[in-house]
Amino acid sequence: MSFANVTLELLSGFGMTCLLFILTLAFALPLGLIICFGSMTKFKPVRYIVRGFVWIIRGTPLMLQLFVVFYVPGMVFNTPIFAPFGDYGRFVAALIAFVINYACYFSEIYRGGIESISKGQYEAGQVLGMTKGQIFFKIVLKQVIKNIVPPMSNEIITLVKDTSLARVIAVADIIFKAEEILSLKALIWPLFYAGAFYLIFNGLLTLLFRRTEKSLSYFHS
Amino acid sequence: MKKILIALVAVLIIVTASVSLVACNNSKSDYEYIKNKGTLVCGITLYEPMNYADDEGEMTGFDTEFAQAVCEKLGIEAKFQVIKWSSKETELNSKYIDCIWNGFTVTEERKQNLDFSQSYLSNKQCVVTKADAVATYTSAAACAGKRAAAEQGSAGETAANELTTTVTAVAAQMTALTEVKSGNVDFAVVDIVLANQIVGSGDYANLAIATGIDLAGEEYAIGFRKGSDMVEKVNAVIKELLESGKLEEIATKYGLQGQLVK
Repeated sequence: MSFANVTLELLSGFGMTCLLFILTLAFALPLGLIICFGSMTKFKPVRYIVRGFVWIIRGTPLMLQLFVVFYVPGMVFNTPIFAPFGDYGRFVAALIAFVINYACYFSEIYRGGIESISKGQYEAGQVLGMTKGQIFFKIVLKQVIKNIVPPMSNEIITLVKDTSLARVIAVADIIFKAEEILSLKALIWPLFYAGAFYLIFNGLLTLLFRRTEKSLSYFHS
Repeated sequence: MKKILIALVAVLIIVTASVSLVACNNSKSDYEYIKNKGTLVCGITLYEPMNYADDEGEMTGFDTEFAQAVCEKLGIEAKFQVIKWSSKETELNSKYIDCIWNGFTVTEERKQNLDFSQSYLSNKQCVVTKADAVATYTSAAACAGKRAAAEQGSAGETAANELTTTVTAVAAQMTALTEVKSGNVDFAVVDIVLANQIVGSGDYANLAIATGIDLAGEEYAIGFRKGSDMVEKVNAVIKELLESGKLEEIATKYGLQGQLVK
């Protein structure tokens, strides 16, 4: 198997990796904020349920969660709920597990960001006659975003590499493809070559985050 | 304290509820279920000569053609789903696949959790070492005290445990071979069908099969869900294919005619 063939094969897997990464981010970022509100609400039952949920999701391995989402419906209720999606069933299951898992991690980052905003900021908003919603979206959230860029970038880079876990339910990501080449063609190097794809992708992300941080550091310019 | 207790009780209730749900099985016949949807989904991993893609990207291989021939007789369509081999039983029980048809070795342990069709191919485990050390592996006794690797839960692991005391169980047969290549273990025990294909080629060129060591034989069969009535249906078709000589014809195409179980 030539270098070009291996590259093509890995690229098809990398497409899956990127899709899983981008869609997880697109759904988990807003969902994380909703979970964050739930874990900070003054209404106790909701707060306890949401915190319990975050505890379960952060306290168990993502690999197991992938198993639970994909296999348990078929085993418990005798209906493989992802079968109607055809070839995309596995991807959809992986996406759901990743979104839930990462939303929980993001929610804690949001919570840290929101709690770091001093009470004075809220009071200043009230003095100016702003509503609660205006205070949150126009004063608090903007400062939160600036504060959470470093921990977020950490988590997002971890997500890029975590997507390879989806192969436990046979989502054909780049590592899955590399393992397939290994068992079909007895070639080990494509596995390390796959590592280069992650490295380059994360390099680009790192640059992007650095630029974002810089453009947001309006107090230090 | 009280809250923690309540939470624990809640978790317990959920767990028992789900276990009891698992226990009550659907009574509808497996054959009817498969016949109704019109497809038999075979759980596979890509490997030569069982299931693999040819140069045009079409699925081919002994098990592929065999499954297609059986399904044709049953009036259903064979579909092939690539799975993670370590999750094969979970895939089967959660109904994402209807059978495991991929050079699947019959073992007593597996018989407790799923039902097998009649055996169709005989297979052997073999010892693989580095090529420059293979001359020292002349008999089973030579393996004693050496470090071995084999796929977790495979027939190879059982054989390796009989040969030596230090056996590393790894995730896949290919990983066992990589263990040998990297020098972490002295030998690996894998399927001879796989070893013939891989050992001596590509990145595994410096490995060799120890031909002097004869390990116990084993047989390949198709794995179905426990209690499935597909077993008798498929067995009847296999018998038909054997009598008409069709199965031998497919086996000859992939050089497996000598291993066919008649």
